[in-house]
Amino acid sequence: MLLTPTLLLAGCERTLNALLARDPASPARLARLSGSRLLVRFEQPRLALVLHYHDAGIDLLRADDLDDRHADAVVELTPETLSAWLGGTSVEQLMFEGKLAIRGQVHLLEATRTLLLDLDLDWENELARWLGDTPAHSLAEGVRRAADWGLRTRDELVQDVAEYVFEEARLLPGRQQRDVLRDQLTALEVATDRLEARFKRLDRRLRAGARQ
Amino acid sequence: MSPTDKRTTDFGYQEVPLDEKASRVADVFHSVAARYDVMNDLMSMGIHRVWKRLTIERAGVRPGHQVLDIAGGTGDLTLKFSRLVGPRGKVVLADINASMLNVGRDKLMDNGVGSNVEYVQANAECLPFPDNSFDCITIAFGLRNVTDKDAALRSMARVLKPGGRLLVLEFSKPNNPLLTKAYDEYSFRLLPKMGEWVAGDGESYRYLAESIRMHPDQETLKSMMEDAGLERVEYTNLTGGIVALHRGIKL
Repeated sequence: MLLTPTLLLAGCERTLNALLARDPASPARLARLSGSRLLVRFEQPRLALVLHYHDAGIDLLRADDLDDRHADAVVELTPETLSAWLGGTSVEQLMFEGKLAIRGQVHLLEATRTLLLDLDLDWENELARWLGDTPAHSLAEGVRRAADWGLRTRDELVQDVAEYVFEEARLLPGRQQRDVLRDQLTALEVATDRLEARFKRLDRRLRAGARQ
Repeated sequence: MSPTDKRTTDFGYQEVPLDEKASRVADVFHSVAARYDVMNDLMSMGIHRVWKRLTIERAGVRPGHQVLDIAGGTGDLTLKFSRLVGPRGKVVLADINASMLNVGRDKLMDNGVGSNVEYVQANAECLPFPDNSFDCITIAFGLRNVTDKDAALRSMARVLKPGGRLLVLEFSKPNNPLLTKAYDEYSFRLLPKMGEWVAGDGESYRYLAESIRMHPDQETLKSMMEDAGLERVEYTNLTGGIVALHRGIKL
């Protein structure tokens, strides 16, 4: 059990570095970060990780007893902050909202997100290493054509189903009918409000007449 | 013959003259150096990488540190340490065996490791470094091959800086009788056969199994480290005690 976190971390590191190795933009990004250490303290689960950048990738190490002074930047993350950060919310905004605590070189966090999320994998090149240039290109073209066909077919299917449901079978109202219905309901609401106001006015007059 | 020459030590289950063990161990490693990494992966089913990774995590090495990797063999720990210490730090890969050192140097160079690693052929019993030189010393699967373990631990404590850490990763005694039985069967029956098939040398791997049994258990090694002058010595059993990671600090 003691080795499980280490094993998981080793798996993550290997996968991450394999992905980074296949991204043409990563070497330049890693070269800028090389030698830096980002200490990430997760609140849930309670875990401290050091991301140590080097030219070929990232070393992920547990750092339960590492002093903050020995990292270039220290960031404290909750699950909500992590998901917001990965979702694209800017570091400045998260800091301004008080959700993110970061000390040291703040730009390391932004650079890490760029490195990890802007991956543009050159998978055709990797395939070429295994199969050779021509077969890999043919296979990649086939996959691309299949993907295009899949996307086109999905769009057409959605279009056909929408037309059948709205226009032919008339099971659901279309957007235009819905807009007309909404306008008429709004007119009805305004008319009932006016009628209610007239009733109140009439009521006030009748009460005033009865008192005289 | 002088009285010193009559003293003997263990070489696996054999008793050999004290001054003969180092050369016999050297022969074993000359023989297996080329296939060392493959055999390690095969014998441990890859788990040795996780044991070593845990050692690196516990080492707490930082940029600028001076690290000594004794019996560093094919440089598994040195590779990672060289990245962690960065250009301001230094890692010394030391091994008594020239063949292992050559394999390690080639492997590290293939991995782009360069200026911050030095290679030293050295005997752990009398390390050729000044006192208080290193922030961290590691010895992974090497201590059991040393003839005078106490002298080696004293030598390591000497070259360690005050506040520095010594980590000893070594085979040890499993703490479960069932696991012990399975482990014995594996290491005395299967291991020499695997050594014969893959590395073409069954005898070396028979020595490996025997030397593990002759190595001090967890508590004995802990007290040996304390006797060598290390403090706050603690150990962690890995994979049921098949391997133990000892850590001591020089204060």
